[in-house]
Amino acid sequence: MMSNTIFMHPATYFLIGAVLLPFANRLKLQKVLLLVVPLLAFYQIHHLPASFGVCHFMGFELTFGRVDKLTYVFLHVFTLMALIGSIYGLHVKESGQHMAAFLYVAGSLGTTLAGDYLTLFIFWELMAFASVFLVWYRKRKRSIEAGYRYLLVHTTGGLILLAGIFLRYQNIHDLTFTRIAVDGATTADYLIMIGFMLNAAVPPIHAWLPDAYPEATVTGAVYMCAFTTKTAVYVLARGFPGFTALAILGAIMTVYGVAYAVIENDARRILAYHIVSQVGYMVCGVGIGTAMAVNGACAHAYAHILYKALLFMGVGSVLEMTGKSKLNELGGLYKYMPWSLVFTVIGGIAISGFPLTSGFISKSMIIAAAGVDHRVFIMLMLSLAAVGTFLSVGIKLPYFIWFGNDSGVKAKESYWNMQLGMFIAAFMCIFLGIYPEYLYKMLPYPVTWHPYTSYHLSETFQLLGFTGLGFYLMVKKLKPEPKSNLDLDWFYRKGARVFMWVASKPIGAANDWVGEVYRTVGYRFTLAVARALSWFDWEGIDWVLDGSAKGVVKGGDELRTLQTGKIQHYIGGAAVALCIVLIIVVLI
Amino acid sequence: MIAQLFGYLRDHSVALKWIFFAYLAFTLVFDFFAERHHAHFWGDHIIGFWTLFGIFGCLGMIVVFKGLSHVWLMKGEDYYDE
Repeated sequence: MMSNTIFMHPATYFLIGAVLLPFANRLKLQKVLLLVVPLLAFYQIHHLPASFGVCHFMGFELTFGRVDKLTYVFLHVFTLMALIGSIYGLHVKESGQHMAAFLYVAGSLGTTLAGDYLTLFIFWELMAFASVFLVWYRKRKRSIEAGYRYLLVHTTGGLILLAGIFLRYQNIHDLTFTRIAVDGATTADYLIMIGFMLNAAVPPIHAWLPDAYPEATVTGAVYMCAFTTKTAVYVLARGFPGFTALAILGAIMTVYGVAYAVIENDARRILAYHIVSQVGYMVCGVGIGTAMAVNGACAHAYAHILYKALLFMGVGSVLEMTGKSKLNELGGLYKYMPWSLVFTVIGGIAISGFPLTSGFISKSMIIAAAGVDHRVFIMLMLSLAAVGTFLSVGIKLPYFIWFGNDSGVKAKESYWNMQLGMFIAAFMCIFLGIYPEYLYKMLPYPVTWHPYTSYHLSETFQLLGFTGLGFYLMVKKLKPEPKSNLDLDWFYRKGARVFMWVASKPIGAANDWVGEVYRTVGYRFTLAVARALSWFDWEGIDWVLDGSAKGVVKGGDELRTLQTGKIQHYIGGAAVALCIVLIIVVLI
Repeated sequence: MIAQLFGYLRDHSVALKWIFFAYLAFTLVFDFFAERHHAHFWGDHIIGFWTLFGIFGCLGMIVVFKGLSHVWLMKGEDYYDE
């Protein structure tokens, strides 16, 4: 019964898989395991009961499995993405990277299925700790530093979340993870929301994302772009739909992310900033909170995971084959890596919301939901971000890598497994665009939205066409520069330096001074006291206890001659002593 | 093979440019015939609204964000390593 429940949980497969990977690597079966585990999990999520894995622990009721339509759509895309990521990373021999990825996916699935805050928190932290290894495995100094910053920020977020959970328990003695009413939200709930928002990279607590993701391994970034932020979108959609703060922050996010995507130079940093923008749509949809908006957020999460992973795979292919990801160092690669270009462009037009791609059928739902809810300003911000999306990721990124000025960089096309991973993701992008019902019927609420209306098509044709014209006119202004741009991580990256200065200069000096005082005054004082005590102990107490201390010292000297220092003598002695003890015990 | 196709297209970029301009004209013509039953706000009633939004949004973003970058945000790549 219990084992049945354990194997019901899709995260179990990834946890066991992670443990078995090093052994499978020795047996040359790693590639098999990498494919079997996600496939099993993908099969398993279709056979989950509404509730399972309920157990009691130290007076708390833990629910490891709570399944409804909202859970299902995220489980579906997470397990599918794990399969695509595994295929894309098949050529990586290091088991450690795959283990980290599997644990990360397990954390994400566990969070999605958790029915209470404690279970959620455990898997939440597993995600953070597993994913940081995907950054560290790049093994460059910058990656190691970025990984530590990533871990510190997520630990802080985790503590805020935990504080919220504790407060909530103190207030209402209930840790069930359900929807929180907008009117009844307390400090505890807002702390939980902030913890979630940190993982969703909502400004001003977003800078960890563009800091860490560009430093991750090629395959690691493909996983990271899919799971952390979208798990956060899921928990926000579960707990906090209808919070207007989320709608406003989400709309700001969309433009904020795009702004940096327009000005950045490193291709993976452009994509990382663009995650902020895209997750903004989802956060905004959750914040609007109507059935259509939450549907849109879920649909967009599904579509976004696939095309953003596709873009990271395309750019990752270039990084893998050329060792470069900065736009100013690349150009003219269409001759050498044409298929990576085709797949990346499919990701680029999907993210821009071209008709017949997945972006068209998901993004429009959120924008229309904002319109239906009469939030015109938010709607216009989302539309503006759509313009910036096509500009930065749809055109600028592929143009300067594969066309632009010929950089002289020569490369081979990427490995077959990388191309297969890209092909599956690209196929899904177009499949969902042509057949949106496949996605719509998975959504938590019934869908009444039809994306392919003449007006919506007309709007999209114009927006994308004239954004293209804008790029054509300004292409010289957009020439990539080998620079990076300040963001809010400045505060803790430079702030840490202030902290270190305070620690080394004023505090260090004070410490030295105290140490000096101690050495000159305290040390002598201590020695004097010790001498006095020693004299008192030796002469005073021993005198009282009739010379026993002097006797022990004498006895110790005699005992020392018995010690030979050979281990067999000690073992033999111990055995003899044990026999004596046994005999005594038996006789008595 | 596919690389040659891209090369061919690149060599004929002038033709592509005119195809692109023709497409832009088409989008405007198309907007005259689009059904506007579900207008969300005033802009949805104006023919060509999204044309203006697209071109001015795009140019505006390039000017504003690139400008911000150049006067304030842009630093050397090892700014934090110094």
